[in-house]
Amino acid sequence: MDRRAIFFACAAVICGLLIPFIPHEEGKPDISWVGWWLVIGYSILAVLSALDAWSRSRKS
Amino acid sequence: MFLVVVVVGIALIFDFVNGFHDAANSIATVVATRVLKPWQAVIWAAFFNFISFLILPLEVANAIAKIIDPAVVSIGLVFAGLMGAIFWNVLTAWLGLPSSSSHALIGGMIGAGVAKAGWEVVDDTTLKKTAVFIVYSPLIGLLLSFTAIVVVMWLVHRIRAKRKVNQTFRGLQLLSAAAFSIGHGANDAQKTMGIIAALLIGAGHLNASVLDNPDTLPLWIVLSCHTAIALGTMFGGWRIVKTMGTKLTKLEPMGGVCAESAAAATLFFASHNGIPVSTTHTITGAIVGVGSSKRISAVRWNVARRVVWAWVLTIPGSAAVAALTYGVVEVFN
Repeated sequence: MDRRAIFFACAAVICGLLIPFIPHEEGKPDISWVGWWLVIGYSILAVLSALDAWSRSRKS
Repeated sequence: MFLVVVVVGIALIFDFVNGFHDAANSIATVVATRVLKPWQAVIWAAFFNFISFLILPLEVANAIAKIIDPAVVSIGLVFAGLMGAIFWNVLTAWLGLPSSSSHALIGGMIGAGVAKAGWEVVDDTTLKKTAVFIVYSPLIGLLLSFTAIVVVMWLVHRIRAKRKVNQTFRGLQLLSAAAFSIGHGANDAQKTMGIIAALLIGAGHLNASVLDNPDTLPLWIVLSCHTAIALGTMFGGWRIVKTMGTKLTKLEPMGGVCAESAAAATLFFASHNGIPVSTTHTITGAIVGVGSSKRISAVRWNVARRVVWAWVLTIPGSAAVAALTYGVVEVFN
């Protein structure tokens, strides 16, 4: 599998595992959306990178 | 009072060294692409370092001041925390480990606080927030810069006048470098502000109510910290020969703009939400993002791996040194 896709997939998993540890402070906006945003972003990049690598390997 | 002045002085020297050390992050790309001459780039970065307090709130200073219960903070504790951070920075510089002075400072304060009064005096919320964003901040920078460079490359790939595109991005680098310097000044200078505020509260020279509204922090603390970091940036600028930009991956003007803008956006978010993050790790993540958009082998992963080791070791390492220092301080007390 493409190394870049593996890296992005690992980043998505790590970001997801850290979400429960994001504290919520009273009177301040909840910032756990950052964790979800990272999980979704890296998951999309992992899929796109894997597809890119797959299409390149088919061409060659 | 004399001891308070001495410890404030040490904190400001720490701030100066922080600016000195991080100057290359702010000016590397503008100098490498010859948009500005080194001396112009240094003044540009130092100016935006200095004015950052006018743009971003003092939430990071507040978080750092509260990381140890103000009721137990003493001159000896802050001194031990600073010494732990300084010793750790010197040790890691000697070992060639890209350690974050911000994390060293936080680790130092925690170590000294725990040595004095146990774990219950550590502010759990700030510690958790800091620990999570040690990992998140470079990953946010990476994701933003990767997305930005892909979008920009897609937008400009049909334009034939490559020279004009290059010229445009060389100009835009002035803005992205300024934005990054604002983020750097805000997040890093505020860490020292927080330490000085904690010291003055602990020594009885400042009312603890300032922590409820960080904007009421005395102006001399704000100005002295920003002056120290800006002077550090000016004096550190000459060391731009070896920069993050060339160490991690080769950067073109387009990549430089994307990396600096992504890192600046991350620092703005962190500063706005009172999250102390490492500016060096953030720009490192952003540069890796630009490099990995070309091909994964464009990134020098051994440098990135050393950053990960620095993540893991800095807070426990500096905390241990600060705890030992606090023990020595107590012996002499």
